Amino acid sequence: MSAQVCAVGEAVRLVLGLVVLGWGAAALDAGLGGARRGAGGPLRGAGGAGWWEVVRGAAGVPLGEVARLVTQRRRRTLVPDALLVRTGIVALLLAALLAAVVLPVGEAPVLDTSVGIVWFNAMEVCVWGALWLVGWGVNSVYPLIGGYRFLVQGLSYELPHMFALITVALGAGSLRIADVVAAQRELWFVVWMPVAFVVYLISAAAMAFWGPLGQPLGRDVAGGVPAELAGADRLLFTIGRYALLVVVAAAAVPLFLGGGAGPVLAGWAWAAIKTVAVLCVLVLVKHRVPAVRMDRFTEFAWVVLIPLALVQTLVVGIVVLP
Amino acid sequence: MGVSGWLLRRAAVRPRVLVVGCPYGTRVRLLAEAEAGRRGWAAARAPAEAGVLVVCGTPGDEMAAAVDHVWDDMPGPRALAELAPDVPESEVAAALDRAVEVLGDERAQDADRPAGMSGARGADRPAGMSGARGADRPAGMSGVAGGDRSAGPPGERTHGGDGHMGAAGGVGMAARGPDRDGLQLDRLHVPLGPVLADWPAGLVVETVMQGDVIQEAVVRVVPPGRPGGVGFWDEPRRRAGGVRREEAGRRAAAARLDSLGRLLGVAGWPAAARDARSLRDRLLAGSSAASVRRDYERFSRRVRRSRVLRWMLRGAGVVDGGPGWMRGDVLDRAYRWLDSAGAALDALDGRTRAGAAGHFDGSTPVAALSLLPGLLAGAELAVGRLVVASLDPDVEQLPAGPAVASE
Repeated sequence: MSAQVCAVGEAVRLVLGLVVLGWGAAALDAGLGGARRGAGGPLRGAGGAGWWEVVRGAAGVPLGEVARLVTQRRRRTLVPDALLVRTGIVALLLAALLAAVVLPVGEAPVLDTSVGIVWFNAMEVCVWGALWLVGWGVNSVYPLIGGYRFLVQGLSYELPHMFALITVALGAGSLRIADVVAAQRELWFVVWMPVAFVVYLISAAAMAFWGPLGQPLGRDVAGGVPAELAGADRLLFTIGRYALLVVVAAAAVPLFLGGGAGPVLAGWAWAAIKTVAVLCVLVLVKHRVPAVRMDRFTEFAWVVLIPLALVQTLVVGIVVLP
Repeated sequence: MGVSGWLLRRAAVRPRVLVVGCPYGTRVRLLAEAEAGRRGWAAARAPAEAGVLVVCGTPGDEMAAAVDHVWDDMPGPRALAELAPDVPESEVAAALDRAVEVLGDERAQDADRPAGMSGARGADRPAGMSGARGADRPAGMSGVAGGDRSAGPPGERTHGGDGHMGAAGGVGMAARGPDRDGLQLDRLHVPLGPVLADWPAGLVVETVMQGDVIQEAVVRVVPPGRPGGVGFWDEPRRRAGGVRREEAGRRAAAARLDSLGRLLGVAGWPAAARDARSLRDRLLAGSSAASVRRDYERFSRRVRRSRVLRWMLRGAGVVDGGPGWMRGDVLDRAYRWLDSAGAALDALDGRTRAGAAGHFDGSTPVAALSLLPGLLAGAELAVGRLVVASLDPDVEQLPAGPAVASE
């Protein structure tokens, strides 16, 4: 009984956390975009607006976007496969939420399974399907190309990503995420698995199609996968996308950054602080690094990242050898 | 009603804007982009995102048809601003203000719903109005940011061996053919332009695509709405009574920054593209050369330092012959733009006496246009877009104006 109450509490906390962090990431993204405009930024018109004005303006941007998409009408392309499109849009959000349930927000995750890492990985692969369904279903060229791009991206990042996860599981001797956190009591995995951590960060951006790895939604293909979506459809897609971004950032915390461990503050607070830090890195990278094209990245991923990740796995394997 | 009205007005504060440049509309396009940037309006990537459509310059028949098409693809709430090529600067801001008003006006937006659908949730537009893969449209009418329409010329619509496969929604299915890698893939006829994010005004590339690979490309230019215009970038040089050095220098640097803004946008670096545009706007608005130059240095250093940009642009779209400025790959051309914008700014700031040398010799758009089909064939769309952006043909500089179609 109390376990159930606890799980519900965790679930509520999880959703709240996703909403707040997703909003924060969108606001930070908008703020960085605006702040670059120099004198005052565009957020509050001309004239030297203070930083507080910029922060307030940026915080309002995601709300304005929601208002815009709520009031925008839906749109229908010629002979779309509406079922596939809707399935894809819902699956994106669902995949993000289901991937999140194995992450410990405070003490324990909503779903404390013995194969947490595999579960996380499986949910994240569902995003491939979701994006492809949307890109294919709307029956339009640019979304279709966006879908192609994401599949190639998947083939590029997934193997290094899986080796990074395997390294973590090997280090902890368990696929249960709570065990992974427990195994980092003395030393965070990021310290002795730096390569796996970097590979994870790259693949995190790739699976959330974010920043330099966001070309499935590229400007050069008119916005790619969601190019034809409007109104509620696009709102849901965007929410799913930000939820996914927060989840992949949050997953780095139990996997590499010691979970909720830290002095003074409660576990959930430390988990939140670390998640925010990873999110900030991802948002900053978006503003500092141009897009990566898969015709060049795939080779890099297979020739450089996979061997590096394998060496990392080997090193960890030797260390944990009984 | 109260809540939806409030939401509508809240949403109208920061709409997404699609700025469409017509040939000889560059001056107003720059003013509109600057004003939209000042207000913090994000540029829409596709009509489905856009709330405000700003048409800059006088569209010809083909351009007007494309604009109509984009307008139909905008789901609404939506507002249209049409700016003649010679409107005063204040009128641009006023037009955007009016657009915001229209967007927030509940009654106007309700009246704008597709007929028979008023009040319906998720109003679907009548079939055939929105573009889709395989949409049947007369050639030359399409080519819109929504990215769609592909019906080929009638001869190509039959299938390799199996004849007609039937039509979906009254539209012929795409034909198949062997592609670059020996696969049998749909051949889609996709016009790029004349309305597309970060695309040179007035340019159309009719492509045959398989997957995301451009198999064939035919390049042409849309005729201007009013013949006999003078290209904006070219104007100070052509003006009777000699060149005013200051004005010419500002234009020269701003022209490179405008091109760089498009290239960096296509290269997927929105932050740097925004910087390029903001520098461009400050130059044209008459900010002090010294302050622009200082910020330009920082921008230029940042772009040159980017290893990822080098990795991505190196070896793409290699040109061997032709005028000096277009030789080399996409990265060479981008660096050359950075050089010449820097040189023009130095001259403005009084550091050097050299004038801004550049590609304003009238012949270069022709050379670029004639090279494009060869460079595009066999390229992936992403690379193709980089190639177009790195050559950035300014159709206003064609010797006899954009009326001259080039193949």
